[in-house]
Formats: sequence, structure tokens, C-alpha cells
Amino acid sequence: MSQYDEVYRAVSPAEFFYKYREIAGFANPVRAVYQTIRELVENALDATDVHGIPPDVKVTIKKADETQEFYQITVEDNGIGIPPNIVPNAFGKVLFSSKYVMRQSRGMYGLGVKMVVLYAQMTTGRPVEVITSKPNLKRIYYFKLRIDVNRNEPVILEAGSWRKTRDWHGTIVSVTIEGDWNRAKSRVLEYINRTAIVLPYANIALLTPENEIIYYPRVVNTMPRPPVETKPHPQGLDLEFLSSLVKNTGFDTLEKLLIDSFQGIGEATARQIVQKAGLDPDRKPDSLTNEELLALVNAIKSYDKYKPPSPKSLSPLGEEIIIAGLKRAFEPEFVTAVSRRPSAYSGHPFIVEVGLAYGGKTPIGEDKPVVLRYANKIPLLYDEATDMIVEVVKDEISWDNYMVSLPAPILVLVHVCSTKVPFKGVGKESIADIPELRREVKLGIMEAARGLKQYLSKKIREEEAKKRAENIAKYIPEVARSLSIILADEDSFNALRSEVIRKLTTVVAKKTGVSLDLIQGIVKSVEAEAGV
Amino acid sequence: MSKIDLEARSRALDIVEYSMKELIEQIERGEKPTLIMPKRTLSNTIYDLKHKMLLLGPELQKRSFTDVNEAKKFMQTLLMASIIYEALRNNEYPTIRDLYYRGKHSIVYRSIDGKRVSENTWDEQRESDSVIRDLEVLLSVLREDLLILSKEKGKVVGNLVIRSGDDTIDLSKMGHGAYSIEPTPDLIEFIDVDAEYILVVEKDAVFQQLHRYGFWRKYKAILVTSAGQPDRATRRFVRRLSDELKLPVYILADSDPYGFYIYSVFKAGSITLSYESERLATPSAKFIGVMMTDIFGDSVFKKIIREREARKTLEEVATGIEDLKPKAPYLSESERSNFIIRAKTKDLERAVELVGYKVADVCMEDKDAKSKIKRKEGLTGYPWFATPHWVRELCIFFNTLSKLEIEAMASKGLKFLADKYIPEKISSGDWID
Repeated sequence: MSQYDEVYRAVSPAEFFYKYREIAGFANPVRAVYQTIRELVENALDATDVHGIPPDVKVTIKKADETQEFYQITVEDNGIGIPPNIVPNAFGKVLFSSKYVMRQSRGMYGLGVKMVVLYAQMTTGRPVEVITSKPNLKRIYYFKLRIDVNRNEPVILEAGSWRKTRDWHGTIVSVTIEGDWNRAKSRVLEYINRTAIVLPYANIALLTPENEIIYYPRVVNTMPRPPVETKPHPQGLDLEFLSSLVKNTGFDTLEKLLIDSFQGIGEATARQIVQKAGLDPDRKPDSLTNEELLALVNAIKSYDKYKPPSPKSLSPLGEEIIIAGLKRAFEPEFVTAVSRRPSAYSGHPFIVEVGLAYGGKTPIGEDKPVVLRYANKIPLLYDEATDMIVEVVKDEISWDNYMVSLPAPILVLVHVCSTKVPFKGVGKESIADIPELRREVKLGIMEAARGLKQYLSKKIREEEAKKRAENIAKYIPEVARSLSIILADEDSFNALRSEVIRKLTTVVAKKTGVSLDLIQGIVKSVEAEAGV
Repeated sequence: MSKIDLEARSRALDIVEYSMKELIEQIERGEKPTLIMPKRTLSNTIYDLKHKMLLLGPELQKRSFTDVNEAKKFMQTLLMASIIYEALRNNEYPTIRDLYYRGKHSIVYRSIDGKRVSENTWDEQRESDSVIRDLEVLLSVLREDLLILSKEKGKVVGNLVIRSGDDTIDLSKMGHGAYSIEPTPDLIEFIDVDAEYILVVEKDAVFQQLHRYGFWRKYKAILVTSAGQPDRATRRFVRRLSDELKLPVYILADSDPYGFYIYSVFKAGSITLSYESERLATPSAKFIGVMMTDIFGDSVFKKIIREREARKTLEEVATGIEDLKPKAPYLSESERSNFIIRAKTKDLERAVELVGYKVADVCMEDKDAKSKIKRKEGLTGYPWFATPHWVRELCIFFNTLSKLEIEAMASKGLKFLADKYIPEKISSGDWID
């Protein structure tokens, strides 16, 4: 080989991720702790609420070594469990999903947990431990695994099972990583807190190495509607996806492939598309050349009579849950939520949901309301400045018009759920500016803000009425005293005075439309101060 | 305590009780308690042409306790009523200052947002004084009838015997001093009189000079001074002298718009206290001087009305200016230049208030002084100054921009003032009515 030749070598996906762990969020010991907890918690939630089970999730973080910064992180859920035969691959082999259906979920392709296992292996050398059982199984299964990085294969170190003595199902995953807990702590707590806000139907507990227990108890029994797996919408298609589809499915003809793989394509539509691509409907899909595939993609995408993508694959939180979550978190004096109707961009269905809290323990928004962003129920904690949602809240809504004078205790929660949330950049922490989405976000916030305005103007009216009543009521004792001086003698003074106070209190309550109690309260406070 | 005093107290107590009984009946019926009284505002002040005085118009003001804008005033009115009532009961004579202090205290309460708020029943005496005026119109009595005192200001001497309290006082036996007109002039009883007219002098100093000169004895006059702006007691006293002794009343004031205004207060009443005019004003009072025509004669005016346009304009203000009797001045050219004072812009503005802009526009030649007058909308003058005599007087004032104090007349010689000027003006009927 000459000096100009490069050495090329195939790397396994596991090796790839091992080397490029920053991409997956394991850049440093602080991020690593946070990312590990996130991956495990999100898997736990996907195993529960996506399947209609009210989540019970417990996170335990323990110091695992006396001298080194090793932490054992254990996450337990009450989810559907993992079939024992799948467990080794699920945790020990980096895979690309072979599924061609769409459903809203938190994790993507289950990549994250493998990164956690790899990271643990790299920093502490300790294996992942998994305990799991499905609802219909009679046994509980136990595994201790590591990943053979070069071969991208799981290595089972220990495995076993025992009979269930109680009706338990779910998964317990435990990893030991090196990390900087002290600096990661506030970030982790914020993540758990923000996650809990949209999961008022979950019990979430966190046990820290300092033995603190952070617990968010369930406050509602309503669950979000679980997402239904649906076929992809043709408008969301790309060449990569179509090639993979052709390669991995054994359809006899192009027509069948189109009808069976996508939503909204029937026989007539399939024919029209194939003809437009200049192909034969009966062609065997795996015989297509790259040029023909490209022509097919263009034909599929340029067809413009599809029905909009089905929102059944989405699992919005719903107004009731958002309201319950905001109430639990902020005890606001006013709260409202708006779940917009489904919409779509480029073949991907999405729903925007907005929650709005005002007053109580709601944090103060300085130049704009505090914004809590969520994508598929996952909180977005970083890159706020570049987020389209924040831009809308700040620049497109005139909060003055909704009677909000900033700074004010006001918070806007925006949840975007989609089979494909349009993120900005690889960090997946901010939402990209897609016109269809921006419009929905704006309309959702405006609708919620109208609710707030109604509340505030009613409140102001009531406050004014109360203020008016107060400004009359405070004089009742003086008026009663004066009248009694003129019209009563020493013996009848107190009786007349009390009678006048009683009557005036009633009249003032009636005329101002304010409760008798309020007026009595003011009158009593005047008397108390005067020592009557 | 004199019988007359006790009777006045008993009357006053009845009036207060009666009015408050009405209120408590409303409260017992569960109605919003409401005080109804004549509206005490400029817009409800009218000049009654028949009675020639300023009176309160027919507009009524309803002050409901449940009206948030009126609640405090309502409370203050009742508070003031109760203090006055107690004072009447306890045989006291509070002054308006006393009433202010007696009623001033803090009302402390917890507001709806939990704050401890402290508020005074009233802060300044201006407020409590206003409440007293409200009570006067509400009860249709004068505060003197409620035995509220004020500082004594007016003085009187003359051949008049009065009873005040249990004492009989001969006002011709006051030495160099004079009888101070008491704040409750209605409690005075006139016992004996030997006088032909009443002379009211604006300036105390001139009053004293005339008194020591023996003017009242020589000319059978009752000599009164208001020592400046007349207070209520002096006005009521003069009114009673006029009504009950049937004697003519002559007013001697400075020759300037303020002097003219003081005369009009005696005669027609004041705008702020128009509700009292019926009892305080003396519509028959006559202005004997000092007139502008006493200083300048009428040549200046004649010159002005020789012009057709000017004549027409002034004729619109008051018909009959051409029929005025000719008038010679009492002062010589050199006396004039010694005694007169140049009018200030404030004097001019006061004069405009009395007769309106038209007269000023026609008669004023000094453009510089004219431009300094602040123009206010709707100043057309008071109806009782829209007479040929007053138009002539004020026209001369605007033209000469001069004013003169009575003291100047006295410095020409007290003898001149006492033995020539005053008696001559009265005997020749040279006054303005």
C-alpha cells in the first residue's frame, strides 16, 4: 500500500456508537448521568402508558463504589415487560428497527438503552442487569448482559428465572456508570419534575444517593388515549425508506406493496401512481433499479389527492390531564388547556396541545410567560432560545391584549405530539419552524389566552365590585355610631347601633352584589381596630 | 344660659333629630339611606331678578350611602351632624375649627387584600367646612342657628340699644371701641334705635376715624364695618338692621373691582354661599362710593360713547347709558394724580368677571394691559352689574386703569369725607342701587 491509501474497515453499529458517544448525549460525566436516567425512564414510560397502564416508575440512584464516582442507576416500571427471548438483543445488540409502522412513542428505535449499556461497560465495566416479566407469564426472568462491541452481539453473563409469587409485571433495569452526580443532580431533578407535570396519571419516585425521596403521586385516573400503530402516510416517504421497504418485505407486485404498506392508497390510486412513474403495476418490487425507485418516490409524493394522515397513531395528553398536571405542579389560580384538532406536515400527523397556568405558585415570566415545551410527552429542557414555540410565545402573542401585564406569574405549556416531531439539530431539544406547526401553536396559545383573558376580566370586575363594597363598608360603623348618638339615649345606644350596622350591611351587600361575609369582615375589622 | 339661647338650642336639636329620623326610617325599611339636598354648585346658583339676590336653584343632589362616590361624604355629613348634636346637647359653642378637630379621627380596617388601612374621617379643615355647608343646605338652617361660632370680625356703633344674652348694651356708649358683632346675630334683640340710616364701611381704619370724629352721632347713623370681605355674621346683622329697623343701608368701599364686589356680596350674596343669601343678603343696600365718577367725573365716559359702535355695544350690555345724569368729580386734577393707584392685571380680570369682556373691549385703550388679561370662556358678567351706572363705572376703570382706596378720600381731609362727601352723596341721592 502506498502512503496515499486509506485503510477501510467495516465497523459494527455498536462500535460506531462506542466511538461517537457524544452524538447520543454521553459527552461528559454530567450529561452521562442525565442521559442514562432519561433513556431508562422514557423506556419505562413507553412500556406503560403507551399500552394503557397507569405508570408506576421508580428511579434509584446509589453510590456504587467507595472511592470512585460510580453510580448504580435502577429504573423500575410496571409495564408490559419484555419477552425473555428478546431481552438479550433488546439490551445487547444495536439494531435498526425493521418495523414499517408508525406510532407515537418517546424512544426512537430503542437505541438509547444500548448506549447506556455501552457507556456503563466503557466506564465501570459492569454489566446491565434486567429483571422482567410480562402480564401473562408465570415466571420472572433475570439477565446479566454485556455487549461484544466488535461483533455487535449480546453476551449473557447470567440468566435465570423464578415463579411469580404475586401478580407482578414490568421491567427493572440496573446499570452502573461513572458520572458526576453532584453536578448532574439539579438537571436530573428538573427533568423528573418536568416529566411529572405532564404525567399526573403516573406515580413517579426518585431516590437519590443522599437518600432523598422525590415523589410525584398520581392525581388523576384518566389516561391518554394509547396510540394505534398505523401504516405510514405516502407524503412522508423518502428514497431511503422505500429502498428499505422493497428490500425487507416480500411483496409480489408494486401495486400490492403500495396498497399494503401505506395508509390512504387503494387500487385505483396505486395504479395511477405506478403509471405516472412509468412502471408496471405487476413489477416485482425487488427488481427495481435505483432510477426506477426514485421515479416511484417522486410519483408517490407528487400525487395530491391523499386523505390527510390518520391521527390515530398519536397519543395526545388531553385537556383534562394537562390541567391536572399544571394544578399539581403550580396550584395556579387559573388554569386552562387546549387540545387542537389533528393536523399534518409532509405526511406526518401532529397535534398541538397548550396548557396555561396563571397565579398561585406559577413562576414569574419576565418579558414573556415561562414556556414549558414537550415533544411526545418528553420535556425539552435546552436550546430554548432557538425554539419556534418560544418565538411564538414571545413575538407573536401580544400578552397585553389578554390583560396580562408582564412580569406576571404566567406559564405556557406546549405539547407537540407527532409520529415525527420536527426537531432542530441533532440535540433534539428544540422544535423546528414548520409553518403548519407554527400556525397550530399560535392558534392553540391564543385560544388558551382567550380563556385567561375572560378569567382576568371577570376577576377585575369582581375585584372592582369588592373594592367598591369595601369603600362603603368601612364607613358603616361610623354612620351607625353617628345616627345612634342623635337618635338613641344611653340605654338604647348599643341596640340601635347594632341594628343599624346589621341593616346597612345587608343593604350594601345587596347594592354592590358582594357577599355579606366580606362586608361583615370589613365592618368587624373597623370595630376591632377601634376597640368597640 | 339665656332663654333665647336655650330656645335656639332646642330648635336646632329638633331639626337635626327630624332629619336623622327620616334617614333611620329608610334604613329600617331596608332601603339605601339617601340624603336629599339642594345642589351646592355654580351651575345651580341663579340670580333671582325679582328678589335681586343670588339663590340656589331648584336642582337637588341625592347623596346615597351605597353610592361609592358619595359614601365618604355621607359618613362625614352624619359624623358632623352627631358632633354638632352633642355640642348642642352639652350647651357648647363650638367653632368650625373645633368641629374639625372633634370629628377628625382615623378609621382603621383590614382591606380585602388583607392590608391594614388607615384613613382619616377628614384631613383638612377645608373638608369639614364643606361638610358644614352641606349640613346647612340639608337642614336648611344657617350654622349660626346651630350655635356654631366663628371669629368676630364686624363691628358696630351708633344710637342703638340691643340685648345680647342676658345683657342690654347701648351701642352709643362704647367709648373709642365698638361692639363686635357676635357670630350668632339672630340671638340679638333690637331694643331701641335712634338713627336715620346705616353706613357700612369696608375699611376698619376708616370706620375708626369716622367713629372718633363723632360721625354717627352727628348724622344719626349706625356705623358698621365688615373689616374687608364681610363675614356671615356682619351680613346677617346688616340684613336684620335693614329688615327690622326699616332703615336704608349705604355701603362705602374702595373704588376698585374688589370694593364693587364687596358691595355686591352685601347686596346679592356670594356664589359659594348662595344658599344663605335669603337670610344674609340685603337687596336694598346702596353703593355710595367711592365711585369712579367721584374721581374722574363722566367726561371720559362721554367721550367713549360719542363713538357710535362703542355706544351700541355698551347699550347692548345695559340699556339707558345715554340717559345717565352728568357727574362732576370730587377730586381736582392734582388730587387725582396723588391719590390714584394703577390697576393690576388681577384687578382687570376681576372687573371682567363683574361686567364681561364687551365693556373691557370697548373701553380699554391700553393694548398692552388688554393682552395680559386671561380670557376665560363664557365670562359675560353678573346680571346685577349690567346696569347703566355700573357700566359707566367699570368703563371708566378700564379706560383709566386706576383705582382708589377710601383712605385717600380721608386724607383729603376727614372733614371732607365726614361732612361733605358722605352727607352730600346721601342727600343728593348720588348712589348706585
